[in-house]
Amino acid sequence: MVKRPLPTQQERVLGDDDFIVSKTDLKGIITYGNRHFIQMSGYSERELLGTPHSILRHPDMPRVVFRLLWDTIQAKREICAYVKNLAKDGSFYWVFANITPSFDRAGDLIGYYSVRRKPRQEAVASISQVYQALLAEERKAGDGQEGMKASLALLNQTLERKGISYEEFVFGL
Amino acid sequence: MKSLSLGSRVHYLIALCLALLLLAGWAASGSHPLPTLAWSLFGACVLLLGVALYTAQRILKALDRLTGHLTAAAAGNLDSRITGIKAGAATGELAWAINDLLDQQEAYFREVYSAFEHATRGQTFRLAMDQGLHGAFKEAMVRVNISVESLGQVQMMALKEKLISKLTDLNSGNLLTNLKSIQEYLMNMTQEMSIVGQLSKETAGDAEASRATIEGLVVDLNRVAEMAVASDAQVRLLHEKSDEIHQIVQVITDVADRTNLLALNAAIEAAHAGDAGKGFAVVAEEVRTLSENTKDAAASIAKTLRTFGQATTQMISDSEQVKALAEGSRMAVAEFRTRVLKFAGSATTSFTQMSRAQDLSFATLVKVDHFLYKQNGYRVIHQGTASPEARAVQADHRSCRLGTWYYEGQGAELFSHVPSYVRLEAPHADVHRNVHEAVAQLNGAWERNPATQSLIYAHFEAAERASETVMATIDRMVEERHRLG
Repeated sequence: MVKRPLPTQQERVLGDDDFIVSKTDLKGIITYGNRHFIQMSGYSERELLGTPHSILRHPDMPRVVFRLLWDTIQAKREICAYVKNLAKDGSFYWVFANITPSFDRAGDLIGYYSVRRKPRQEAVASISQVYQALLAEERKAGDGQEGMKASLALLNQTLERKGISYEEFVFGL
Repeated sequence: MKSLSLGSRVHYLIALCLALLLLAGWAASGSHPLPTLAWSLFGACVLLLGVALYTAQRILKALDRLTGHLTAAAAGNLDSRITGIKAGAATGELAWAINDLLDQQEAYFREVYSAFEHATRGQTFRLAMDQGLHGAFKEAMVRVNISVESLGQVQMMALKEKLISKLTDLNSGNLLTNLKSIQEYLMNMTQEMSIVGQLSKETAGDAEASRATIEGLVVDLNRVAEMAVASDAQVRLLHEKSDEIHQIVQVITDVADRTNLLALNAAIEAAHAGDAGKGFAVVAEEVRTLSENTKDAAASIAKTLRTFGQATTQMISDSEQVKALAEGSRMAVAEFRTRVLKFAGSATTSFTQMSRAQDLSFATLVKVDHFLYKQNGYRVIHQGTASPEARAVQADHRSCRLGTWYYEGQGAELFSHVPSYVRLEAPHADVHRNVHEAVAQLNGAWERNPATQSLIYAHFEAAERASETVMATIDRMVEERHRLG
C-alpha cells in the first residue's frame, strides 16, 4: 500500500496539449494510466496499478466534490470537476477532470474512464474560493456525515442562487 | 515460405544459420585443426545466435500481445490498454504509442458522445473538448462542435417552443373561460339594466295615471263644493218658506178664532131675537167672507207646500249626488294610494337592481384587471425579464388593481361584511406567488432545461387553478351581498 505524502506548496503544471488518461475498476482501483499520468503524479506505473485513485486526493479538496463525483458516475452519468491533485512528492497540480462510465458489450458497468486536462487559470481561481467555503463548512461540522450534508447544502444553495445546474456551473467557469 | 508466419520464419532462419555454422565448423575441423581463437569466435557466434533466437522469441511474443490489442481496437473495443510496460523494453515505445493512439480515439469518441448527448437535451454549454487531442482528432472536433452547437440551438428552440405552446394552450383554454365569465357578467348586467329600464317605464306610466286620477279627484271635489253651495241656498229658501207657512198658519188660526167668536155671537143673537133674522143675515155674510179668506189661505198653503216639496226633492237629489261624488272620491283616493305604493315598490326594486348592476360592473372590472395580470405573466415568457410585462407582474396581491380594490377600495367598502370576502385573499396571493416563482425561473438557463420548464409550467398551472378560485369567489361575494341585502 502506497502512503499519501505531506503536501507542499510546489505546483506542477500539465501541458496545454496533453491530457492525463486513467482507468479504474468499479471500486476506483487504478487499472491503467498513460505516461502523462505517471509523469504528473510522480508515481511509477507499477506503484499506480492496483492502487486506489484516492491516493492523489489533496487535503484542500472538499469531500463533497468526490461524493458528487461518485454519485454521478455510479448513476452511469458523466461528471466534470476541477480537482486539485497531490503528487508523490507532495506537490500539487490542478486538472479539469472528465469521468465517464465504461460498459461491456452487455451494457454492464465495468469501470470508469477519466481524462484530465489543464484548467484555465481564472477557472481555478474561482473554483478555489468555492472549495474553500465548502471545506470550511465541512470542518465546521466536524468532518462527519453532518459536514458532508452541510457542504452539499451550501453547494446546492450557491447553484440555486445562480439558477443553474452543477454541470452548467463548471462549464461556465 | 509464404505460408509461414513471421515467428516461424525467424526461427527457421536462425536455426538454418546455426546449422550452416555447425556444418562449417565440422568441415573446417575435418581437414585442418583450427587455432583456439577460431574456436572461441565460433563458440561466440553460436552463443550470439542463441541469444538472438531468445530475443526474437520474446519480441515476437510481445508483438503477439500488441497485435491482440490492435485487433480488439480494430473491432471497435477501445477499452483495452497495455500495462506493465518495462522501461527500456524493445516494444515499450510501441506499446505506449498504441496506448496513446487508443487514448486519443477513446477520448475523442467519449467527448463526441457526451457533447451530442447534452445537445439533444438542449444543453449547448457542453461542447466537445479538443484539448489534449492531436492532429486529425483535434481538427475533427472543431467540426463536431459546429454540429453540436447547431443541434443544441435547434433543441433549445424546440424545447422553448414546446413550453410556449404548452403555455399558450393553458392560456387560451383559460382565456376562453375568462372571456366567457366576463361575457356572462355583461349579459347579466344588460338584463338587469333592461329590468331597470322596464321599471322606469312602468314608474312613468304609473305617475301619468296618478296625475289623471288626481285631476279627476280635483274636479269631483270642486263639484262637491258647488253642490254644497247649492244645498245651502235650497236650505235657506226652505227656511224662508217655512216662515211664510208659519204666517199663513197664524192667519188661519186668527180666522178660525174670529169664526169661532162670530159663530158664538150669531148663536147668542139668534137666541135673543128669534124672528129677527136680519142679524143672522149679517153673520152669514161674515162667515162667507171668512170662508173666502180661508179658501185663499188654503190655496197659498198648497202653493207654498208645492214649492217646499220641490225644494225637498232637490235637496234629496243633491244629497244623493254628493253621496255618489263622495264615493267616487273615496275610490279615486284608494286607487291613488295603491298607485303610490306601487310606485314606491318600483322605486325600491329599481334601487336594488341598480346597485346589483353596479356591483357586477365593479366585479367585472377587477376580474379584467386580474385577467390582464395573468396575461402579462404569460407575456414575460415571450418578452423576457427586462420587458414592461415583467415589471407589471412584479406587483404583489396587495398592490395590484384587484388588491387595491380589495384592501382599500370599493371591495373593502362594499363587500367586507360578506362571508366570502375573507376567502379571496389566499387564492389571490397564490396567483401572484406562482406567477412570481414562474418568472423567477426565467433568470437561469430555462430555455435549455426541461426540468425548469416543467417547473414554470407547474407554476402557471397552479396560478390558473388559484385564479379560477379568485373568479368564483368574486361571483360569490356579489351574490352574497345581494342575498344578505
